[in-house]
This record gives sequence, C-alpha cells and structure tokens, in this order.
Amino acid sequence: MTIPISEALRYLGIRDPDPDTLARVKAQARALEDRVTPRYTYRICPIERHEKGWLLKEADILLPGRLAGKMMASCHLAALLLCTLGAQFDAMLRAAQARDMAAAVMLDACGSAYVEAGCDSAQREIAARFPDLYLTDRFSPGYGDLPLALQGDWLRALNGEKRLGVCETKAHVLIPAKSVTAVLGLSSQPQPAILRGCGVCALKGQCAYRERGLFYDS
Amino acid sequence: MIPDPHAFLLLDGAMGTMLQRMGMKPGESSEQMNFSRPDWIESIHRAYIDAGSRVIYANTFSANRRKLRQSGHSVRQTVYAAVAVARRAAAGTDVQVALDVGPLGELLEPLGTLSFEDAYDLFAEIMEAGAEAGADLIAIETMTDLYEAKAALLAAKERTKLPVFVTMSFDAAGRTFTGCTVASMAHTLEGLGADAIGINCSLGPGELLPLIQELRRHTALPLIAKPNAGLPDPADGHYSMTASAFADAMLALARAGAVCLGGCCGTDPDFIRQLSASLAGVTPMAAAAPCVSFVCTPTCPLPLTGVRVIGERLNPTGKKRFQQALMENDLDYLVRVAAEEMDAGADLLDVNVGYPGVDEKTLLPRAVKALQAAVDVPLQLDSADPAALEAALRVYNGKPAVNSVNGTEESLCAILPLVKKYGAAVVGLTLDENGIPQTAEQRFAIAKKIVDRAGALGIPRQDVWIDCLTLTVSAQQEQAEETLRAVGMVTHRLGVHTVLGVSNISFGLPNRPLITSAFLLRALSAGLTLPIVNPCQREIMDMIAAFRVLSGEDQKCQRYVERFAQASPAAAPSPAERRLTLADAIVRGLSADAALLAREALASQEEMALVEGTLIPALDRVGADYEAGRAFLPQLLSAAQAAQAVFEEIKTSLARKGHEAVSKGTIVLATVQGDVHDIGKNIVKTVLENYGYTVLDLGKDVPPDRIADAVREGNIRLAGLSALMTTTLPAMEKTVRLLHSLPHPPAVMVGGAVVTPEYARAMGADFYAKDARAAVAIARQVWSAEET
Repeated sequence: MTIPISEALRYLGIRDPDPDTLARVKAQARALEDRVTPRYTYRICPIERHEKGWLLKEADILLPGRLAGKMMASCHLAALLLCTLGAQFDAMLRAAQARDMAAAVMLDACGSAYVEAGCDSAQREIAARFPDLYLTDRFSPGYGDLPLALQGDWLRALNGEKRLGVCETKAHVLIPAKSVTAVLGLSSQPQPAILRGCGVCALKGQCAYRERGLFYDS
Repeated sequence: MIPDPHAFLLLDGAMGTMLQRMGMKPGESSEQMNFSRPDWIESIHRAYIDAGSRVIYANTFSANRRKLRQSGHSVRQTVYAAVAVARRAAAGTDVQVALDVGPLGELLEPLGTLSFEDAYDLFAEIMEAGAEAGADLIAIETMTDLYEAKAALLAAKERTKLPVFVTMSFDAAGRTFTGCTVASMAHTLEGLGADAIGINCSLGPGELLPLIQELRRHTALPLIAKPNAGLPDPADGHYSMTASAFADAMLALARAGAVCLGGCCGTDPDFIRQLSASLAGVTPMAAAAPCVSFVCTPTCPLPLTGVRVIGERLNPTGKKRFQQALMENDLDYLVRVAAEEMDAGADLLDVNVGYPGVDEKTLLPRAVKALQAAVDVPLQLDSADPAALEAALRVYNGKPAVNSVNGTEESLCAILPLVKKYGAAVVGLTLDENGIPQTAEQRFAIAKKIVDRAGALGIPRQDVWIDCLTLTVSAQQEQAEETLRAVGMVTHRLGVHTVLGVSNISFGLPNRPLITSAFLLRALSAGLTLPIVNPCQREIMDMIAAFRVLSGEDQKCQRYVERFAQASPAAAPSPAERRLTLADAIVRGLSADAALLAREALASQEEMALVEGTLIPALDRVGADYEAGRAFLPQLLSAAQAAQAVFEEIKTSLARKGHEAVSKGTIVLATVQGDVHDIGKNIVKTVLENYGYTVLDLGKDVPPDRIADAVREGNIRLAGLSALMTTTLPAMEKTVRLLHSLPHPPAVMVGGAVVTPEYARAMGADFYAKDARAAVAIARQVWSAEET
C-alpha cells in the first residue's frame, strides 16, 4: 500500500510544492511505508430501521441521527470498519519531533493520508466480497450528527483492542493516533456520492485549508 | 506451582468463545457472568478439566477497576466470585486455578495517557485480590505492550508469592502491536522474575512456530503456547480450524520447546482433549540457557556480539550547558543530545543526571521516561545513589544496564540486589575500600569478586560488565598500560564483557581525539567490547568502524563502506565562501550553517543583540511569507529549527560566562484533559521558543488543576491551551475559567483544530490563536502590555 503524496500535501496546506519540499515529503512517505502498514478489520452486519435510528443488532450498535438515516435509507447491510497505523507510527512521530519538527509535520500528514488509504483498501475488499451490492460513502463517528461517543461501541464490536491494539480515552479519542472508525452501507440500489467534498464538512466555516485557498471537491 | 520444564502442562482453552456459544449476548461482559451465570462458568471449567487441563484460568481476564467501572461489582468481589467458581470446578482434583489477568484496556504513556505507576496500582489491586481469594498462580496474558506486562509482573511479584506466567500476543512478523520483539520480551520478563513466559492469542499454532523457536533461543524458562484456533475470517470473526488440525500443529510447538500448552480464542474442550492425546509419548525438548549478554528496549533488542558503543554525553560532569539544563528541568535538551548520539551511531546511552541541587531520585526516572519516548536505544542508568537507580529501574521499559557497582561491601550489598530484582545488566568498577588499585592483578581480583558475588545472587555471568578504569595519562602515565593489561585479563580469564570510559585518558593534553583514539584502538585490541565514548566525535567512530572491519565483526566491510560512501570527498564550502548570512541560513532552515555563523557572530556581538537584530527579523521574514501563502508549515518549522540551533549557541555562550539564560517570558502550554494529539501544541512550542520565550510544556491530557498549579507556582502571564476534539472543548472551557479565577490570572490563548474564534470568546479565553504565528503575535502583545 502506498501513501498518496497529493493527499499528504493537501493536509500540509501545500498547493504547488517546490522540488525540495516535495522531495522531503516523499522521503517521509517512504520511511513510513518501510516501517508501517495500515491494518484494518471490519464486520458486516444486517441493519434494520429502529425507532431511534438504524440498528446493527449483531454488533449491538445503534446509529442515531439524520446523517445515518440519509446514508442507510436503502441499505440492508452495514460494514463497520476500523483501520490503524498502530503504535509504531506514534513512536516514529515522537522520534521525529525530537529531531526535526518540520520533518515531523510532514510525517504526520503522510500518516493521515496513509490511514485513509488503508480505509480505501478495506472498502475495496468489502466491495469485492459483495459484487452485486452498491456501497454508500464511508462516514465516521464525529462526522455530521453521528456521535463521537460511538467509537467505544465500534471498538467493542470489532474487538479493536485485541485485534488491532486500538483503545479510546474517556473523551472518545482513539489511540494510536492514526486510527479511524467508519461505517458504510450496502444496498442493492446504486448509491449517490453524498459525502465527498467540503460541502458536508462541519468545519467548513473555519477550515485552515480553505482559508489558504485549498478546496476539496467531490 | 512452578512448571517443570521437563514435563508438559496442559492449560485450558477459550472462555469467551464458550460463553458466546452458551448464549452470552453481544455487549455483555464475561466478568458479569461470574454473578449472573456461575453455573455456566463452572460447567466450562469442568469441561476443560475433563478434557485434560491441569491449569484452568479463572474468569477474571478483564477484572480490573477500569473495565469493571460500570459493572456494579468491585475488583475484589469479581475476583473472589470467579476464583470461587473455578475452585468449585477443580474440587477433588489436583487441577490448579490461575488468576487470569489481561490488559487494562487503556494504553500506557507515552502512547496513551495512563502512567506506569497508575497501571501498577490497578494491577496490584487484582493481584492481591487473587492471592487472597486462593488462586494457585497468576497468568498475565494477551499483553501487547511490554511496559504494561512489566507493571503487571512487578505487581504480581511484589504483592503476592504466587508463581507468575506471562504471555504476550504477536503478529506473524514477530512484533506486538506496540512493536515489541520476541527477544526483548524474553530478556525483560525473565529478568523481572517470570516463572514461565510465552505467547497467546492473535495467531494460530502454525503461525506461532517460528516465534516459539525464536523465544527458545532467548530464554531457558518454561515456554507457554496458547494460540487461537487459526486465524479468524475477517468478515465475521469466526475461527474455522478443527480440533485435530490444531492438535497436530500444537505438536510442532511442543517439539520446538513449548511445555505449557493450551488454546485461546476459538478453542473448546475438544481442542484440549485432542491436544492431550497428541502429546502422549512426546518428550519435552531440553533448553539451554542463552549465554550472550543482552540489553534492550521493547523495539530495539541489542545482543552484545562485538563492539557496542556507549554514548557518554548525557552527563553533567564538565558540561556547563548540560548542568544548566538539569537545573532548569529541561528534559528536551537531554532528548536532543540523546538523539544526536543515537544518530551518530551509539548502541546504548549512559544517562547520568547527578549534580548538586538536583533531586536524582525524581529526575532520573523522569529522564528515563522522556528519553525512552523519543530515542529508541537501550539505556545505561548511571548514578551513585541506589534510590535513584531503583526509581529508574522501575520505570525503564525493557532491559537496561546499571552503572555501577564496585568492590566495596556497601556497594555490592546495595546495588546487586536491585540488579537482580529488576533483571538488568551491571557495570562493575574495579575499585574497593582502598580506592583504585595500581596493578592489573589487583583490579582483576576485584573484578572476580564482583562477578562471583553477582553469580551468588543469580545474576547471569554475561550480565556483569567490568570497567577496569581509565586514568588520565598526563597525570599517571604508567597506569594506561595497567588498565590495558587488566582489560586483557578480565576478557580472557573471566570471559565477561569490559567497559571503559575511554575519553578520560587524554584529559589535559592537546589534540585529545588523537590520544583518545589511539588508546581506544589498543583497548579494543586487548578485548574491550563496550567503549564509553562521545559518538559525535568523528575520529572516534571512524576508529571503531575500522576496528569492526579488522576484527571481522563488520562482515564484507559493509558498514564501513556505507559509512564512508556517504562522506563527500571534498569538504563542503563554508558558509562564508557561499556568501551565506546568518539571516539567510535561518530563513532557508540550514541549521548547521546557522549554528556556525552564530558562533562566529557571538565573537563580536552580545547575545541579546543577535537575537533581536538578526534572529527574530529572520523568523519574521519567514512568518510573513507563511501568512502570505508563499511559504508552508514545513518551511516555517525548518526556520524555527535553524533558530533553535542559534539559540543553542547562545545558551552555550551564556552558560560558559555563567550568565542566566535569555528569556522574553515564560508561557505555559498544554493539551487539555482528554486530548492526546499534541503535535499542534508542539508546533506552537517550537516557534515560540525560537522567538526567545521559555515554554513550560505540561504535555497532553493535562487536568485543569495541574495547569492552574503551574501558572500559580511560576506566576505565569500567558497560558496556551490546545484541543483537537469537540469532546475535549468542555475541559478547555473549565481550564480557562479556573485560570481566570486565580488571584493573579494569566492571559489565556486557545487553539486547535476544533476551536473557533466564537468558541474562544464563548469560553472566556483572552485570545484565539489560529496557528503558531498568531501565538507569537499574542505573546508580543501580552508582554508589551505588561511593560507599559
């Protein structure tokens, strides 16, 4: 699995990198790819409409709110996903911060791009298992009105601590740092792309990237 | 009961898998079943006993205070209930009941926020309850963090007299989730006194084989294998391996040296029954104790085969800048020095923080934690104070070395028991009540005494490293030869490693590196394997690289060629030749050039004039480019880094003159309680420091009280708070309010991904800092207002 450099640059807020900066970002990406591979686990459960939201009975998870309602409207299955770069990324980042803060922020951006690439890979794997079904966009606790507090339910349902070494703090922050929980629906009907781009992001009014003229279109 | 390495011991299989089959619902906890369905638990235990298990694990895997928080039962109640059920099931048999202890479910520092000491306390509570409830042994299992395993093992050993099994979970590549290697686990846990060690969960028996073979090479302890029923299907989590296939694969593990055998997730009594049958007629493999000395961190195993360089620079003796850092509690400086040593090729680092006015017992363990968070090489803990050594040994993650014990009765009695208890290697100095002997024979005699006394306590011979002591050749010329003779005698007659603080030889002479490297070469030729040197001195490391070629350690001269292939043939042109100014060097982020130019400038300029006249205008130039979108965060930080190199020169210059460090003011920074992402806060810190502010960095997940205490104690005028998650904004607000309620309230700036100017206003913060540059502007504003 490789790190999409353009994504890493976007996280860094860099539009047209000079050759030196580009080379440094690529060097961080290579070092990261050499030492870390994103790991993921997922679980596919039937999903049903419930008075308080959408229920994944087998996993004992209820997805409340408008976003889940919109995304799952025509789905009969949902895939719960957890992807992480693991503790070794955090160790690399600490080591980099002790030496060179500029290198560290580049490594951090590469890590963000890498864990998303891991989620993409898991998503492709799920799609391949269900060639007759259509996948919704991927979304996560903390996104829209889906509560961040659900992260713990995800970890429990996916046995995330034992399988991938991921824990959460009392404030529902996942550790290791580059860990992502997500859900996507599976439907027999084609699914529109809903969530890509800045339009749906809750942070769009204050986003540092947008301020610097960087937009993300679907 | 301590397992017999010559006989197989059958353990049990999965508990959770069985409970799920019996009808435990998703979301229910296994520990709850001790109260709601003790009959189920008892029947599972009985089924395993009937299948042949001689040890059953009580249903206490998650019975820690943290995981039981919402259960309505205490640790004691849960452990008592679970052990009682297991005892009932085992009644009338000779089956032993193990207290099963799993991970706490919260990650330890530096990865997470749980301190080692708090982890120890959580485990101590379980261990004490287990011993009182009547468990026969303790089985710590499924650990993925060696630090957590250490906390649990220490608690088990210190709070009970029970035998302790420890198993960790690895991936097929032989690493745990935190990167711990099999070798590091083996040496660390054996050193700490585990009675049997091994591997459980995460893999099937087939994948476990190479790992058990690796483990066998590193320990003679009885080995435990408790794998899963193969690998689970990623989609539904089900295990598909059959009991007979499992038993066949387990036989290979038994032949590779595992003696305590059982199953983990996906296994059931049938697996144990078939395993028991397949072991009939098989004899356990005899194990030989490893004889190579070994130190490690979890992720950096270091067998001592060949020359290993010990970095000497983490030591205040004769180093004014280092002394100043100690007095200011500036651990970042220690970490920077350590990183330089490691990057220059040191294999392990000596760390000494002993200086008048320093509380070593507090500072040494803090230094160990800070160093281990960022620099992945084993440490040699160096102190004359046994209490400081013990405090550091407790919190060290891995197997360290201790510097030092000597031949005096007082030292032998104080130090060796610590070395034994914490499983460290130890440096033995060849001096005693009569001082340093003048002859090699007398030093050898002391060396022998130290090795013998260590052996009597059960410290393996290879873990004692002898220092034959380097004396200054300009003062006692004949002693150089005696030291070298002693190194030879210890190497050949005692067969242990030798250590030497090499640099001391050349003290007081011109061209010190020449004398030092000449002596180094002679010492290495005499048998020295552990030179303590300054690895940042090129001549020294060149000499070691050459020696490794000549001794055959550097096979095919590979490392040597690599080392010198990197060195450019012609020296790079100096900054002056390139017409580079200090300001340009800072703007372009050229740290080495900036340091060189700053040193030159300081010959004719006052320190503060350099800061105000050159350094800050240069940083402002980059800052303006950043704000205009012409430069990006990496450039801003590279410039800050170069400015840091300049500041280092300024601090060194001031320390040499005995002056106070320059500071424009002290700012407290913290990532608020609950939040663990701190790179944003660290970026702000880097930039503020390089504008001349002193930053008191309280770290991440910092409770409001601690921030308020730091502000009050330091009479701080500006505090900066960072939060990344919406869920931690309430903690930020609480902190702001608390700080504003202080008698002399500081200005508070807030920032971080989720903080907006509106939030900042609403929570009562004085400033919103959108980035590091904004924080600098705020600091300027605060201090200019203070002055007027």
